[in-house]
Amino acid sequence: MLTVVTGGSGSGKSAYAEDLLLSYGPGERIYIATMFPFDEESHKRIARHRDMRRDKGFKTVECYTGLDKLDIPSDAHVLLECMSNLVANEMFQEGGAGGQVVGAVIDGIRALQRSVAQICVVTNEIFSGSQSYDGETRLYQENLGAINCRIVEMADVAVEVVYGIPLYIKGKGEKV
Amino acid sequence: MELIVGGAYQGKWRYAQERFPHIVWADGETCTLEGLLQAEGVYRFHIFLDRQMRQGEEVLDLPGLIMEQNPGLVIVSDEVGYGVVPVDAHERAFREAVGRVCCQLAQSADRVHRVVCGIGTVIRDA
Repeated sequence: MLTVVTGGSGSGKSAYAEDLLLSYGPGERIYIATMFPFDEESHKRIARHRDMRRDKGFKTVECYTGLDKLDIPSDAHVLLECMSNLVANEMFQEGGAGGQVVGAVIDGIRALQRSVAQICVVTNEIFSGSQSYDGETRLYQENLGAINCRIVEMADVAVEVVYGIPLYIKGKGEKV
Repeated sequence: MELIVGGAYQGKWRYAQERFPHIVWADGETCTLEGLLQAEGVYRFHIFLDRQMRQGEEVLDLPGLIMEQNPGLVIVSDEVGYGVVPVDAHERAFREAVGRVCCQLAQSADRVHRVVCGIGTVIRDA
């Protein structure tokens, strides 16, 4: 089953997604971490998330690009966090998919869907800000928006988290 | 406690006044912490958070303080975390703080309302 969890910054979507994974019961829990630690703030952010999931039994697998190349055991429960970082890495990192980002990421999610039973993807709402952007930022929004639409199409359940409150936009979902 | 959230210009203030017509409001743009803790309602709450942060105050303690000293407060706040991550460090910290504070408030609230295009929906009723 594929579940997509979305929401704004600081909406509580990570905590919701982690609890969702715990609700699947016993099994190896794999956390696919996509944030590349490039400065102090990102190190802090990563440390905060590590703290949040410390006692929840996750094995962390770092994946900055090339989701389709990951080798994940088939009985694992997978939490990918988060799509917005993966897309930025694929677009802007050396060796990333560049202009092929949408196809590459969707192929990666498909590969995961084929190999494991439970996947939860955390993504991000970055589309309702007040500024209009051009160039790379605009393209980044366009790519992430397209990927969000595609993965929700593929998903069984999609949920928007508003300050910790789940609002189901597709499928019924299990209340955590 | 009642929490009313939504994007800017979605009719939150009007919704709040219709729903709570007879209460005394504090304005988050001008009120003091003491004023907020004595008011029956506060609007532009996110601006209050911004002001506190710019003065170096810790805002993550605020939900606890409100629950302790003014648990019946009606809070109206913008949702500010739905844009591209800002380049400015204060802006980033601010939107993150609004999120964390509102998550805590939502957990303690009797009701959470979300207003979109003038229409309020109760998304949590404890």
